[in-house]
Amino acid sequence: MAHAIWSGAINFGLVTIPVKLFTAVKADDLSFNMLHKKDEGRIKYERVCSVDGKPVPWDEIVKGYEYEKGQYVLLTDEDFAKVNPEATQSVDIVEFVELDKISPMFFDKPYYLEPTKQGRHAYALLREALAGSNRVAIARVVIRTKEYIAAVKPIGDALVLELMHWANEIVASDTLDLPGTEKLPEKEMQMARMLIDTMSVDEFEPQKFSNNYHDQLLAMIEARAAGKELPKAKKAPARSKVVNLMDVLAQSLEASKKRRSDANGKPAEAKRRKKTAA
Amino acid sequence: MSSKERSTVSVGAQMLSLSNLEKLLWPRDGYTKGDLIAYYRSVAPRAIAHLKDRPLTLQRYPNGIDGETFFEKQMPRGMPEWIERVTVPTPGGSRSEVTFALCNDEPSLVYFANLAAIVLHVWTSRVPALDEPEFVLFDLDPGEKCTLRTLATVTLAIRTLLAEIGLKPLVKTTGGYGLHVVVPLAAGYSYETAKVFAEIVARHAAAELGELATLQRTIAKRPQTAVYIDYVQVGLGKTIVAPYSVRARDGAPVSTPLHWAEVEGFARRSALAPADEFAKHTIRTLPGRVAREGDLWGPKAWKKQRLEGPSAKAGRLWTERG
Repeated sequence: MAHAIWSGAINFGLVTIPVKLFTAVKADDLSFNMLHKKDEGRIKYERVCSVDGKPVPWDEIVKGYEYEKGQYVLLTDEDFAKVNPEATQSVDIVEFVELDKISPMFFDKPYYLEPTKQGRHAYALLREALAGSNRVAIARVVIRTKEYIAAVKPIGDALVLELMHWANEIVASDTLDLPGTEKLPEKEMQMARMLIDTMSVDEFEPQKFSNNYHDQLLAMIEARAAGKELPKAKKAPARSKVVNLMDVLAQSLEASKKRRSDANGKPAEAKRRKKTAA
Repeated sequence: MSSKERSTVSVGAQMLSLSNLEKLLWPRDGYTKGDLIAYYRSVAPRAIAHLKDRPLTLQRYPNGIDGETFFEKQMPRGMPEWIERVTVPTPGGSRSEVTFALCNDEPSLVYFANLAAIVLHVWTSRVPALDEPEFVLFDLDPGEKCTLRTLATVTLAIRTLLAEIGLKPLVKTTGGYGLHVVVPLAAGYSYETAKVFAEIVARHAAAELGELATLQRTIAKRPQTAVYIDYVQVGLGKTIVAPYSVRARDGAPVSTPLHWAEVEGFARRSALAPADEFAKHTIRTLPGRVAREGDLWGPKAWKKQRLEGPSAKAGRLWTERG
């Protein structure tokens, strides 16, 4: 959360609250590089012109919109700036609405808003007033060159800016073939309700759910990086598995021993910083 | 709307400005942020012994236990200079390194409690030897319909298996439903070693215990009456709820080190949900218990053990019989 990704202001009636925007959700995907199999060279992308087949430097690249097959309208940076919707770097609050009046499908991505020093008081005021009203603010937001619609919600001590989809981005479900509310036997309904009851929890605990694919992939990568093949997949019977593991353990103990004698006194790679008290 | 008054207190060598001490964190118990801070101060020397030099992840509840929670690995923004920290490279992470806070003294602990960091998660290793875990860990997680007696039976079975190969484990409540069993390690073992060793013990225990225990990682596929033996919670960057950490549940339960005799007592009890028993140890009761019992995971009990002998013994004993 070190760097603000944007700074601007919330406009709310006559009040202006200078704020910074911070990422509130981070992707936790493993990222891979593409390599040439035979020599592990990194694969590079080159921008090549389809007419003369030669690489093109950035300063010779322009943007074009294909309005008809093979026909382009060229747009320059100035053109983009011209239609730039009052690039005021602002969160302009338009209206307030109760949160459950907004379909959750509209919410896209949350960001934290942090006030600057001058904005703290007004920020707290807006937060507390929102929390008390059970409503959220709907705002028009300009970030860099794009305009968005967003909701501003109080969550804990923070105001959260949640970017929303435009109405035309939401795909209607009426193109799907869905059953209506034709007669459902009461008995089956009862069973369905009972099933829901027995599987209900009081609180949603997201930390209960882990990304197994991600974890296992990471475990495999760690094992490979440590120069070891993974113990074979789960299918083997328990007993031979223990025998396999015994070998792995013996190897790993041996490796630890070797590491100990190699690395005696060598500082670990972590850097530690200690400041003395003022 | 709560009043946002601040009060300044001196803790050790530091002056700390605390905010919103009246903020209700446990609405049904009436415990406030002030109570949380007072609890952590009352057990500070014991708690810090286990937090010291271990990269810390704060689990914060700015709006109390019913509100949103977030995990903070990267040290909090605005953290004072006098709190120690460690920067760790994070291969594969979204940033190339993370600077973790360390909780090495009482003022730091109070600072974190003031951030409504109810739960303190720590690495299993310490600076500077961050690649050497200090214990083997079994995280014993009872299913929804598992009784205290079953949990205790499984826990004691693991203790017996470890004793059979010459190891002495320690036990604590997680503060939630389960128990943590650890084998303190001598220096110099890798995560790989700790993990593989734990897997061997867990597989053997599961085979011996039959339907009482499961190694099934997918929650939905576990029998609800069994204990899940989780042996994969030791690794680079993996964390454990620290001893004496508070949990964000009603009653403000605390992760509490236990006597083995207490676990033996559980095994004789009739049907009772584990959480009900463990909920007896809270921020109200712990200061008294710690004054009476001392730190059951303290230096006297924390025997650092080697794995070579026990591994060889396990190889002989557990691969012969079926």
